[in-house]
Amino acid sequence: MPRTRSGSRRLLKWIGNVLLVLLLVWTLVPFYWMIVTSLKPDREIYGFEATLYPHQPTLAGYARVFTTTPFLKYVRNSAIIAGANTLASLLFGCLGAYALARLRFPGRALIARGLVVSYLVPPALLFIPLFAVLSVLRLIDTHQGLILTYFSFSVPFSTWLLMGYFHSVPLELEEAALVDGCGRLGTLFRIILPMSLPALAVVAFFAFTQSWNEFLYANVFVNSVEVRTITTGLTLFIVEDVFFWGPMMGAAFLSALPPLVVYLIFQRWVVKGLTLGAVKG
Amino acid sequence: MALSAGQPDALREELLVRAPATARRPRHSATLRQEAWLAYGLLTPTLLVIVFLVAYPFASAIYLSLQDKMVGAPGRFVALDNYLDLLRDEVFLRTAWNSVLYTAVAIALKFVLGLTMALVLDQERRVNNFFRTLLFVPWAVPVVIVALNWRWIFDDLSGLLNNFLITFHLTSDIISWLSDPRLAMGCVIAVVVWSGTPFYSMTFLAGLQAIPKELYEAAEIDGASVVQQFFFVTVPRLRTIFLTTVMLSTIWTATNLQFVLILTRGGPASRTEIFPHLAYTTALGARRLGMGAAVSLVFFPLLVVLIVVLTRRMLRQADE
Repeated sequence: MPRTRSGSRRLLKWIGNVLLVLLLVWTLVPFYWMIVTSLKPDREIYGFEATLYPHQPTLAGYARVFTTTPFLKYVRNSAIIAGANTLASLLFGCLGAYALARLRFPGRALIARGLVVSYLVPPALLFIPLFAVLSVLRLIDTHQGLILTYFSFSVPFSTWLLMGYFHSVPLELEEAALVDGCGRLGTLFRIILPMSLPALAVVAFFAFTQSWNEFLYANVFVNSVEVRTITTGLTLFIVEDVFFWGPMMGAAFLSALPPLVVYLIFQRWVVKGLTLGAVKG
Repeated sequence: MALSAGQPDALREELLVRAPATARRPRHSATLRQEAWLAYGLLTPTLLVIVFLVAYPFASAIYLSLQDKMVGAPGRFVALDNYLDLLRDEVFLRTAWNSVLYTAVAIALKFVLGLTMALVLDQERRVNNFFRTLLFVPWAVPVVIVALNWRWIFDDLSGLLNNFLITFHLTSDIISWLSDPRLAMGCVIAVVVWSGTPFYSMTFLAGLQAIPKELYEAAEIDGASVVQQFFFVTVPRLRTIFLTTVMLSTIWTATNLQFVLILTRGGPASRTEIFPHLAYTTALGARRLGMGAAVSLVFFPLLVVLIVVLTRRMLRQADE
């Protein structure tokens, strides 16, 4: 009996290892192809001569990205929009979450419900009317228009996530500060926020990556090169079925880096944020 | 709150602890009113977002769907004509079937693969953290980049897949992955699964790690096999996480048009057309905003159920 049990345990371990290898291959091969393509000269990329790895690796593809495309302009636009949205989400999220977590007022439960519903309503339902709204406000093709519409997913989510976290900050500290004459906002900024750094990091992470990765609104609400973000800019690399996949994969790899890097930094906290019921998948 | 230095410490402490309550009592309603105004002030930006960027657009989508509005032209009220036209449209009916198939298969595969991934990562192993980081990476990559990358993998002449199959003599013909009517939907789903699986494994793994090890030890002593332990200890403990994850993911998967837009544009012959993408092409390609809104709203009743149930769950979770 004990022998069969340890035997089945070992078997399970081996099945696990085999599955792990298969999952790693499935996950990593597309990245391999992306990076390898970006490092090949054209003749190794196309046709039946195409190679499975670069025989003569070159950075010429990357050079073409920077010299012949408005890639840097797209990156700048994405950075402006994602940056502004992150700051605003943090600020609005903190203020609103504090009110919901600590103050008593009529309509509290209703507003909490509104936050969750707003977070769950998909952009695919909102982009048509938002297009009409932005047209009326003359905000089509502007940074402001995109920043504003990105609030629709980042602000409710930030407020919701921070509200949950503020609930877990012990009341006693705050009461002492209130008695000492620290006002409501004083306690928020001096007591609660310093204790909520992990939650603020998670909010910043989600607000930044969601804005950086967003495609639908950016595609519908923006046409000009001056405002275009990186996600929609990349699709322009496909010009009437004339592909240049080398530079495209190079640009794709570079524009995936910012969200990848913040993911690597924040991954410990991200899962916590996810269990609060977060994020598209 | 003036406390003179001469007071005994005990009294001072008692005053401090009870201070908020006793201080409030005499002007209860005044303080409350002040507190409410402060709350509304702090919530103003959030409320503006909810009202003007979510609630109003949503209501106006319903209103738009009852008009024959085109881009840049005023619309005429046509009641339910848009919806009735849709029901007679062959592309629409095909889209409805595609959307159900696409969502159901993608969710099922993500679930199975995600659970497998989570169970594998929950086993004891050296450098498991490193493997976890690698396996979750697709989650951090923008969907557009995922879709473009896979479109290149599926490329007829130079893509990795055909390249690989031909190099190793597994096929002699070129397979047109994305333009073959029998293969296109399968390819789109594969990409959706690749991109969405890590979300499942993350939440499942968090759930697995929260199960006390004693439960397994107890089951083991009672003679439960590994399979029995899985079905009688693991699954019941994860049921809530399973449900929440699947419902959230159903909303996001069913309404995501980026994969289809970049991989196939709904083709070949509408074989991969799904609701959000049809709404997109109707509203912006054909410039029929009213009809586009109607298409996007057709799948909304199903989403309402999910949204209501999820909202209730998330609020309950927040109260705990």
